[in-house]
Order: sequence, then structure tokens, then C-alpha cells
Amino acid sequence: MTAISLPARKPGKASPATLVSATFATVRARLLIVSRYKGQLFNEILTPIVLAAMPILLGRATAGDRAAEVFLANTGTANYVGFMLIGSATFVIVSNAFWHIANWLRWEMETGTLESIYLTPTHRVFVAAGTGIYSTSRSTVGAFVAYLIGSAIMGINPFQGDLLIAFLFILCGLIPLFGMTLFYGALVLKLKEANAMLNLMQWVVNFLMGVFFPITVMPAAAQLVAKLFPPTWMTNGVRSAMLGVGYFFGEWYLDLAVLWFFMLAAPMLGIWAFKKIENSVRRNEGVGQF
Amino acid sequence: MLGTVVIENLSKTYHTKQRKGLFKSIPRDVESLKGISLEVEEGEIFGLLGPNGAGKTTMIKILSTLLLPSSGSARLNGYDVVADDNAVRATVGCMLMGDRGLYWKLTGRENLIYFGALYHYSPADRKRRAQEIIDMLELGDLADRSVETYSSGQKMKLAFGKSLINDAPLLILDEPTNTLDVPSASELRAIVRQKNQQEGKTIIYTTHIMAEAETLCDRVAIIDYGQLLAIGRVPELKASLGREHITRIAGVIPSKAVEAVKALPAVSQATLGSVDGVAELTVMSHNGADTLARLIEVLGQIGATIQKITPQDVTLEDVFIAKTGRTLAENTAVETGAKK
Ligand SMILES: Nc1ncnc2c1ncn2[C@@H]1O[C@H](COP(=O)(O)OP(=O)(O)OP(=O)(O)O)[C@@H](O)[C@H]1O
Ligand SMILES: [Mg+2]
Repeated sequence: MTAISLPARKPGKASPATLVSATFATVRARLLIVSRYKGQLFNEILTPIVLAAMPILLGRATAGDRAAEVFLANTGTANYVGFMLIGSATFVIVSNAFWHIANWLRWEMETGTLESIYLTPTHRVFVAAGTGIYSTSRSTVGAFVAYLIGSAIMGINPFQGDLLIAFLFILCGLIPLFGMTLFYGALVLKLKEANAMLNLMQWVVNFLMGVFFPITVMPAAAQLVAKLFPPTWMTNGVRSAMLGVGYFFGEWYLDLAVLWFFMLAAPMLGIWAFKKIENSVRRNEGVGQF
Repeated sequence: MLGTVVIENLSKTYHTKQRKGLFKSIPRDVESLKGISLEVEEGEIFGLLGPNGAGKTTMIKILSTLLLPSSGSARLNGYDVVADDNAVRATVGCMLMGDRGLYWKLTGRENLIYFGALYHYSPADRKRRAQEIIDMLELGDLADRSVETYSSGQKMKLAFGKSLINDAPLLILDEPTNTLDVPSASELRAIVRQKNQQEGKTIIYTTHIMAEAETLCDRVAIIDYGQLLAIGRVPELKASLGREHITRIAGVIPSKAVEAVKALPAVSQATLGSVDGVAELTVMSHNGADTLARLIEVLGQIGATIQKITPQDVTLEDVFIAKTGRTLAENTAVETGAKK
């Protein structure tokens, strides 16, 4: 019998470096795949602009010339155009994160590639992370371009306030977002269904994170629920930094600290749920059924 | 340890629902594996045979860690499929779902490189390994075309290539020739044999085509309804039928022929199948020559028209027929039990 040559590494023992590498290989694979479908980026830029235009025009229609004045009284900024544009841009990032993870899972279930991934020693959470990084970088670029174009069309200055802090809020908001999408992905894995849930999510998220209005105008109970939702802190942080609408806890670092807490808690909860549901699926029909 | 499989009392029950119209459903348990024990030795090509629905894929999915067993255990390369699942994944190469499981929008090479990353190869090693596989399977220019443009045979070849990425000492192939035409199938079998003979890889190969198992496998296990019917070297299994004679009779044969023929004292088993649209009666008897005259007589009485009579050597298919009274082409009906 000839000697068997195993690759020069201990089987199943992955190092942090190989896992990071596998994660970025996933980002690369996703980018390659999407590059073979044209016209996607265009959609991504158009959506936030159209989304923001509706309430801006509604505001002008109902409040007329006094729109800015009324808005200032309610929110702390007269710049309702910037407010809406920031809201819709962050909303697109959040909503895309959910769509991408759900569509990723559904699509890979149907093509059988999910089983292929499960055959390898890289844990699915890293492949999901790669998908998450791909999703957020893609939609962050799209949302940013949309914000710039939207500002130009509506005639506002896109760069005002404390841009560095705004950037920090976006960065720190993306990680808990990943944790939440993982949690959501686990549901898709179990229920083998994405669209109905996504549609519902879409509106709940839109409402909770205060895309078109400050959450301070919501009933107290709804405000509490909204504050359990990390993207709410992200959106409000960006608006406060740029437009001065006011942090929930008064200071930017206190609000950011809350996001830091979510940064730990949400991924932990997400990974825990994903592993748990994944095992229950493996105990029964497996991830190959759809 | 490497290249071995030890399966002990492996069982798997799927919990499903039997649908009754739109809203109603009754919980049903499907027992796909019922306590199978067997061992695969280092360096052998081990065939897992059984008709559709026998439980082959279920078994393979447990061995490849896609499914968790309901009870029992399995160790591959010395690693337990439940406790050491990642070590199993790292040391086993699998081809499970034919040409599914590949990214059709990526090229063959991009597929191999991506999966190389998931097997923890460094970026340089991924490229090198992908190139090795491309050369080995003679994919040539195909490697840089997107998979969606491949023929189904080419996709299967790439799927097989994917199972080689981690250069595992143990390969698990679930009906790899399923959708291939005759020349492609024999080409793939030749590569499998080569991997076994030149690199000493252990291979588990499932199929429902007995002839394929006969030409390729050192040892086979025949499973049916989730149970192990027989296991052994191919010649041993054939010899286990003793001095049985096999006679195949083709023609226009009514289905009642089976019962009529079985009533003859020397006949131990009879099944009716069809080959290229012509009915074929396979008869197993203790004394071929003497029974032949009686067979012809009985068939004549029930109005059969005989076109051809061929005495034949025992095949693996006959082993299956002797054990079950069915041919392999007959589907295993889904066996379900109401939930207690
Ligand atoms: N997810 C599932 N839920 C319920 N029953 C299932 C499921 N998957 C398979 N089965 C049943 O388990 C039994 C074994 O199926 P399996 O796919 O293992 O057979 P197989 O030997 O691979 O057949 P084939 O040759 O057709 O591929 C069948 O009766 C099948 O209907
Ligand atoms: Mg099968």
C-alpha cells in the first residue's frame, strides 16, 4: 500500500488566520458571483433616494414652508432632508443585511452548495460572516453614494457636523447587525422560508429604527422596544453627530457604549441560536432539504 | 486508523408529516436505517448497494456529518461523526449530490479555489491544489469557463474534483455515475480505481447498479429497507448462492408467470423485470437442465411467448433477488409507521 499524504496540517484544526482567510474567500466568491449579474448596484443606489424622497415631499406638501420649522421643534434639527436621507440610507444597509443572509441561505439550499459548505471543516458562521461583510460593504457603498446624490438633488450639504463620530456609529452598528442577521438566518434554516418573513421584518425594522421620524415621537412602550434594536442606536448616533438631533443618553460616548454592548451581545446570541437550530436541523432532515 | 470506517448499530429515523390536503397533516416516522453495523478496511473500494430508497444516501449523509444519527455510532479515520465532526470533515472527501453543490456562476477553477479556502489551505496552496486537480482530471480550458456552461458529465467530473480538494485518505461517493453516459461513467470509474490503486485511498461507493459494483468494488454491502442484507467480497456473495442456476427467459410473459414458475419444486426464486422493453423472467433453480423443460412447459400453459432463453452466471443482482424476491429496478416503497 502506498503511503497516504495528508495536507501538512492537523485535520480539523483551523487557526484564526485560516478562518479569517476562509471568511474573506467567501467575500470574494460572493463578489465574483454578483459581478456576473449586472444592474444590481444601480438598484441599490436608487432605492434609498426614492425612499427618502417620499417623506421629504410629503413634508413639503403638508407643512409647506413651515416644514423646517415644525421639524426643528420636534427633532432638534431643521434639516429634515438630511434627516430622511440618513434614515433611508441606514435603513437600506440594515434591510439589505437581512435580505442578503436570507437569500444566501435559501439560494444555497436550493443549489445544494449549502451542503457543500457543511462538508468542509470551516464553520458556517464564518461563511455567514463573509456573506455579512460582503453585504454590508456592498450596501454601505451603495447607501453612501445614494446619500451624496440625494443631497445634491435636494440641495443640502452632505458633510456637516462631526463626521468621524458618525462614521464610528456606522462601524459599531454593523457588528450587532451581523449578530441579528445570524439569528434571522437560523430561522430561515429551520423554516426554509424567507420572503414572507422578510416582508414583515422590512416594515417592523423601518418603524422601529425611526427611518422617517425620531423615535421620541413614538409611544413610550414602542420606544422601549425600539431601543432594544441596535440599528436604532446607529441611526440616531449618525443623525446626532451630523445634524445634532440629540443622543439618547446626552453624550456620544454613552450612546456608543450601548452599541459596544450590543456588539458583544448580539453576535453571541446570533451564533448561539444558529448553532442550536443547525443541530436540530441536522438531527432531523438536514440542511439539504428545502 | 486513516482510511477506515467503523459503523456500529447505526439508525436514523426521519420525523415527517404526511400531508392531507392544505392544512391537515399526520406526523409520520420514516425509519431509513435500522441498526446497521459494518466495517470498511483501509485501501479497499467498498460498495454500498441497494435499490432506490434503501437508505444509502441517508447512511452517506451521516458518515459525512450532514445528518446526525438517531442512535448508534460511526468512526471515520478514527474520528467520531458526532464528537469529532470537524476532524471527520477535514479528513474525508465527499461527492454527494451529483452536479449540485457547485457554484454555477463561478468557473471550475474558482469553485476549487473557494472550497480550498474552506479546507484551510493558504491562498497559494489553494491555487496549486486547484491546478493539480484540473490537470489530473484533464479539465483543460473548461476550468476557466463558468460551470453553468458545462455539460452534465463535465459538471460531475468537477464535482468529483471537488471531493479531491483536501486529498483525503477516504473518499465517499454517492452514485457518482448517476447521470453519466456509458463512456463518461467508465472514465470516472477508471479515475476512482486509479485513486485507489496509486494513492491507496479508501473508497466508499454507492450505486444501485449491481454491474457497476461488480466491476469496481472489492467488497460490497447490500442494504434494503435500511437493513444490511449481505456483506462480503463479490465472489463470496455469489458463491453464497450455492449451486443455484440462473436462467433468463425473454419474451411476452404475463405477470402470473412468477407464481406459476415458483410453484415448481426446483425453483427457489423468480422475478419478472424488463430489459429494453422486453419482459424478462429471471429464474433461480437447483438443477438447471432438468428444470428447463418444466419451465418451458409451464410458461406455455399460461400463454407466454418465449423469444430467448439464456442460462447465466450468477451476478450480484441475483444475490439481491435471492435475498428479497425483488429485482433492483423495483422501487422500495416508502415504509412509514404512525408516530406512537
Ligand atoms: N428528509 C426526509 N424525510 C423523510 N423521509 C426521508 C427523507 N430523506 C429520505 N427519506 C426516506 O428515507 C428512505 C431512504 O432514503 P435514501 O435517500 O437514503 O435512499 P437511497 O438508498 O439513497 O435511494 P436512491 O437510490 O433513490 O438515492 C426513503 O424511504 C426516503 O423516502
Ligand atoms: Mg441516494
